[in-house]
Amino acid sequence: MALSTLERFLLTLTLYNLLVTAAISIYGIVARPSLAKKIIALTILGDSLNVLAIFIGFRVFSIPPVLTAEAELSYFVGLAVDPLPQALVLTAIVIGLAVNLFLIFLALQVYRLYGTLDTRRIRELRG
Amino acid sequence: MRRVVVLVSIAVSVALLAYATSVAGALGYLGLETRALARMLLALAYNPGLRELTAMSPEAVTAIVWDFRGVDTLYETVVFYMAIIAALAIYRGAPKVGGGGGIGLSLIAKVVTKLLIPMNIAVAVSIAVHGHLTPGGGFQAGAALAVVSVLLAVVFSASSFSKVGVDVSKAVALRSAGLVAIAVVVFTPLIYSSVTGAQAYLMQSYVKVDSGFAFPVEVFGQLISGTLIWLNVAEFLAVSFGFFIIFMLLSLREDVVRSALVGEEHGSQHS
Repeated sequence: MALSTLERFLLTLTLYNLLVTAAISIYGIVARPSLAKKIIALTILGDSLNVLAIFIGFRVFSIPPVLTAEAELSYFVGLAVDPLPQALVLTAIVIGLAVNLFLIFLALQVYRLYGTLDTRRIRELRG
Repeated sequence: MRRVVVLVSIAVSVALLAYATSVAGALGYLGLETRALARMLLALAYNPGLRELTAMSPEAVTAIVWDFRGVDTLYETVVFYMAIIAALAIYRGAPKVGGGGGIGLSLIAKVVTKLLIPMNIAVAVSIAVHGHLTPGGGFQAGAALAVVSVLLAVVFSASSFSKVGVDVSKAVALRSAGLVAIAVVVFTPLIYSSVTGAQAYLMQSYVKVDSGFAFPVEVFGQLISGTLIWLNVAEFLAVSFGFFIIFMLLSLREDVVRSALVGEEHGSQHS
């Protein structure tokens, strides 16, 4: 079973889209001075990498990796998508949410104490 | 100049990644076949014919999360624990959540939310206890229940947490109960082994080649997949009340937190 040209094109387009999204968010983390924008870029980076992991396990003609009573085991094994990236991503999403919330707490505390989220100004502060 | 260096290095690394993943085929047969490892995991997820290798869970993702890669998930739970402990440490000495006469949104929003919250809780519990049969599990169920705390804070205002009887210390206790339950399930084979002298492994769920220890796989004809259901329910408690803590702290009133912060600073100046 080979993929048609359209399917190959769409898969490659998705892959490039994910990589470009990741690149833009890395730029946001590195170059933007605002802590809030850094956190937003970090969540976008995490999400695009999660989708990339799911994308690696994806196949065009497929069923979910859940064995039902009707399905034969060989049919299930031959047709289901890769469950390993899904398992890694499901924990990564929840842990990522917790870590992002922690970063938001930190940024909120910085804003309350120093009155700014600009890293250039925070760097100049003393004490 | 610095900006140009950043831009060029990001562009070059993404172009290399794009070349490696598409033209050079670093990801294998993209979109066509799964890897041999995936086929093995799918074949072993629920396979009573291979008793020593299977996880006895029709849901391959949960089988991986809590059995094949159980220690990995345990580590993720530790990261989650640390993130929430760190958030609590930042807010040490913060005033109690609740109090203050918050009004909340309109009557329409409140009535609709009152109808939605029981359904939300029911969905979350069902996701948790069916985690080994259908897509779902402790992490997803915990995230689903965390929505309740956001709804309470936004629609009924932060003072509603004390009305429904949840506060930060209770949420910490419930979360710790979930974590202790995970530890108990993980260490049960070890206790069994030290009492009976038989071979058993940490986090073991079902029989292995040289160990006959197994958690009950079926109860009254219902498949519960050994440790998977217990770990899912425990993780559900840990994740949902972890998020409850964070959202409760985030819903604190700004002026109250600020006054607490200022008090802390004065204290440090005098000492």
